[in-house]
Amino acid sequence: MHVPADYYLRILPELVLTATAVLIMLIEGGARLGSRAALSGTVALIGTAAALASVAVQSAHRGEAFSGMFRVDGFSLFFHGLIIAATLIVLLLSIGYLRAQRLQRGEFYALLLFATVGMCLMAGSVELIMVFIGLEISSICSYALCGFWRASARSSEAALKYLLLGSFATAFFLYGIALTYGASGSTNLYVIARSLSDVLAGHGSLILVAAALMFVGLAFKVSAAPFQVWTPDVYEGAPVAVTAFMSAGPKAATFAVFLRIFYVALGRYSHTWFWMIWVAAILSMCLGNLGALRQTNMKRMLAYSSIAHAGYVLVAFAALGEHGISAAMFYLACYVAMNLGAFAVISNLAQQNERFIDLHDYAGLGFRFPLQSVCLTICMLSLIGIPLTGGFLGKLFIFKAAFQNHLVGLAIVGLLNSALAAYYYLRVIAFLYMRPATVEVSQPQRSLSMNVAMVACAVGVLWLGIAPNSLLNFVVHSAGALTGR
Amino acid sequence: MDLLNHSILSALLIAPLIGALLVLLAPGERAVRWLALLSSLATLLLSLHLPFHFQNAARGMQFAQDVPWISALNIHYAVGVDGISLWLVVLTTVLSLVSVLTAWNSIRHNVKSFYFLLLLLQAGIIGVFISLDLFLFYVCWEITLVPMALMIGAWGGAQRSFAAVKFFVYTMAGSLLMLGSILWLRNLTGTFNVTAIRTELASGSVVLAPHTEVWLFLGFLVAFCIKTPIFPLHTWQPLAYTEAPLPAVIMLAGLMSKMGAYGLIRFDVTLFPNASHRLATLVVVLGLIGVVYGGLLAFVQTNLKRIIAYSSLSHMGLVVVGAFSLTTIGTQGAVFQMISHGVTTAGLFLLVGVLYARRGSLELRDFGGIASQMPVFAGLFVWLAMAAVGLPLLSGFIGEFLIFLGAFTAQHWFGIIAALGVILSAMYLLRMTRLTIWGEPNATAAGNAAISDVGTLEGWVLAGLAILTLWLGVGSPLFLKPTLLSAQALQPISAPAPATNTASPLAQLKRGVL
Amino acid sequence: MNSQPNYMANYLPILIQLGLALGLSGGILALSWLLGLHRRTRRKLAAYECGVEPVGDAQNRFAVRFYLVAIIFILFDIETVFLIPWAVVFRSLKLFGFFEMLVYMAIVLAGFFYIWRKGVLDWNTPERAE
Repeated sequence: MHVPADYYLRILPELVLTATAVLIMLIEGGARLGSRAALSGTVALIGTAAALASVAVQSAHRGEAFSGMFRVDGFSLFFHGLIIAATLIVLLLSIGYLRAQRLQRGEFYALLLFATVGMCLMAGSVELIMVFIGLEISSICSYALCGFWRASARSSEAALKYLLLGSFATAFFLYGIALTYGASGSTNLYVIARSLSDVLAGHGSLILVAAALMFVGLAFKVSAAPFQVWTPDVYEGAPVAVTAFMSAGPKAATFAVFLRIFYVALGRYSHTWFWMIWVAAILSMCLGNLGALRQTNMKRMLAYSSIAHAGYVLVAFAALGEHGISAAMFYLACYVAMNLGAFAVISNLAQQNERFIDLHDYAGLGFRFPLQSVCLTICMLSLIGIPLTGGFLGKLFIFKAAFQNHLVGLAIVGLLNSALAAYYYLRVIAFLYMRPATVEVSQPQRSLSMNVAMVACAVGVLWLGIAPNSLLNFVVHSAGALTGR
Repeated sequence: MDLLNHSILSALLIAPLIGALLVLLAPGERAVRWLALLSSLATLLLSLHLPFHFQNAARGMQFAQDVPWISALNIHYAVGVDGISLWLVVLTTVLSLVSVLTAWNSIRHNVKSFYFLLLLLQAGIIGVFISLDLFLFYVCWEITLVPMALMIGAWGGAQRSFAAVKFFVYTMAGSLLMLGSILWLRNLTGTFNVTAIRTELASGSVVLAPHTEVWLFLGFLVAFCIKTPIFPLHTWQPLAYTEAPLPAVIMLAGLMSKMGAYGLIRFDVTLFPNASHRLATLVVVLGLIGVVYGGLLAFVQTNLKRIIAYSSLSHMGLVVVGAFSLTTIGTQGAVFQMISHGVTTAGLFLLVGVLYARRGSLELRDFGGIASQMPVFAGLFVWLAMAAVGLPLLSGFIGEFLIFLGAFTAQHWFGIIAALGVILSAMYLLRMTRLTIWGEPNATAAGNAAISDVGTLEGWVLAGLAILTLWLGVGSPLFLKPTLLSAQALQPISAPAPATNTASPLAQLKRGVL
Repeated sequence: MNSQPNYMANYLPILIQLGLALGLSGGILALSWLLGLHRRTRRKLAAYECGVEPVGDAQNRFAVRFYLVAIIFILFDIETVFLIPWAVVFRSLKLFGFFEMLVYMAIVLAGFFYIWRKGVLDWNTPERAE
């Protein structure tokens, strides 16, 4: 049997990440060094950076690998880059965060990297079983990460809730895969697409059920309504660094799977699943924003906001075709940048035992901690959708796609929701700069890595808003390639 | 000179940004203040290039520049001015300088942040007035919200946080409806470029269904009505004007309210002539309600800032009446009134700022009879109040008169009610003057005995504004000439003759093509 | 499903099987309940009726270590699932298969090393407090 070397180059990021994670486990089990965790953190950083660099290698070797299970195209490259970059930011912020929480354990980094491997596999797989394996790898690591702060009952509660509901959702997804296989006789997305177009009008209802089941499983993972109830509790209970991670990478990876399955494999049946997406989009936007209005816990507020943002991406999803895909992709990139930036600041300000995590703690911090406040402000403005930030351009792109496909109602609901959302994001800025301090917040620890994470996200948000040409063109191009086949 | 003509607008946009950057890097408070002053002075000088080189006889946009920006969405950095935006740009640079000078003494904490935001705001406002690309316009339009909200919220009065959030969310909601319209229009025409859209619509290569045009028109209208503000979407305004710090309120009342009115002329009237015709009466009636209602409210206020806030509502209502009289003369009047109101309202706010700095109060009952202690102040106060009332020879008169002409041409009763507004403005401004400056020294106002007259800086700024009102009033042809062709180009009727309401809108449209 | 009427019909035997199983077990239970004698003494109602006295409650807390061992057993047992098919096709995989399996075993060994050094295999050491 001959396996071309290209195959390995096509999964190079995954290989690098796996090797790094295994190395970290060896370090953890190995030398009884005092600074073991610091070493693990450094190794994780280097490994992830190398993985990010190896996406470039991957991009030079486009094509299929391993009997068509894995596929390197613009779409998967984009998500590989996005996911690994997100992990890099999470690593940067968690190095400082874990030190502040006295949670320094190398296992954290290993779990994070394994989860990233799973997400990368999700982004690149064109085979349902492989997708499922990737999904499980990343999910199981996330469950463990949620409960990583073992001294906190809330953290354990979050992990348990996430585990139980997550397994349930995965089961739905698996059932959907089984029915898809039953209807089409394959688990390869492109083969499914072909066989569904060849045969039978008669399997429509079976496909509809399969699509619905897969939708349930995936909607749960991206915390889209009506499968969003777990989000606030889990986001609130998990350590901030993990919340940051969960709101970024897994969401992007699951949307990648979502888009690929529904557009590639079930593209022909868009008339049947379109309404699911439509309803979920409206529900997510409205429930997310309404829920966020009254939150004062920063983590909880961003949890509701992440539901709402899943709704915006679903709007792009519902705007069928290339415009929709490219809008969803671009928006996810912006969302990851602005959300991670916000969480980086929150994790920096939280300090030991996450003492300062409430909005009221932020009163009057604006001029005391300028770096943190400016970064948080930029991210909040982007979440609102103020021009010159990525959040605005992403939203514009989404609503443009919606208008283009005559989803005027959906676009209007989305725009009104953006106005509603402006209130609670703005409140953060208002607390920072416009209220006198009520709580004695101590100086957050100085952590170079955290500062780098904050500034990188803020700069990224502005870059995406001001000079997005290269990324936009790439996204448009790869979205075309996804549907082109 | 050609190079300068091509890049002058970009220079105007970039100059405040460079200033903001320098302010950010400046070491001390003194350096910050001087750098901000230098930057705004430089921008003012640059902006004076525009009226000197503006071709009064040329149609279309001048000093235009067009560079591709975001290619995937066909977004261009397209700027240019015509007679309508010309003076607004100059007004922006003038009032920014006034604002920077006002902040010299009135802003005492976090000076660097304040000046940074102020200069950012200036760039945004200039951007609004010069954009020819709907996307660029929207970017500048929204970006002005952020510094303004922060300025209100961080340096404002007691209710500053609430005022800032209300201001932000209120205006943002309207802007998003406008964004909806912009995207819809983009979808129909395939471009964001205002001139191209107008050409497409006028040439008939893109035909808007009547109801589509009305919805698009309304999307823009709501955003502009909120910003201007126009009754009934004005409720954020008194609070924001009262709570904002003085330099911010000059920008807010003097310039940002003009953004709304300018948008009405540049986008609603220009892009949707048919819908404008159908809904003109509605908009004019809203403007008239603002004129009368604002005037009546101003008459009964006991707080000086609120009087001026409601007078703004009233005066900006007049601008809307002028713009939607859909006559050349009315549009010219609207533009002139915007300039005049910008100058006078900035002056009035400065005057009450002087009082507030000395007494820490803006309640009418705390003042009265201060003319004897503050003769210079009293003189300036009366001058600027008269300019706002519309005394002939001063600036307010010209704008109001032209607007009346336009309103009478459109409908007689428009003009009659609008004229009523002027009577009201005389009533409340004279009442304010009487209760503040003249009369018996107030018994409860013990602090007035030792009140000092205007300082050197305050005096010069106010005197400058006063002279400006006189110049605007006396030299009005100089200011009106550049606006003529641009105002004509907007109108279905190409000459300032009595309206021929019998002509069909389409025929009028054909004659009014750029 | 109309175009292929026998698609669901394939499941008919399973349905019959299910019915039979339910019927048989249910029937036996019902019959013994109907026909049998009912003597409700304390002894008879005890949890076990095999002569051993019940001691205490069945709902005890186990040491978490039992679970750990069980999980580790399952994890390392899985490798057999991969080893056996690999052994079957080893000839056709040639050297490539050999090295692939070496890599796989190395990863498993790394995990083994990890749990070993973490003291999971040491039954006697007291659990470390976090």
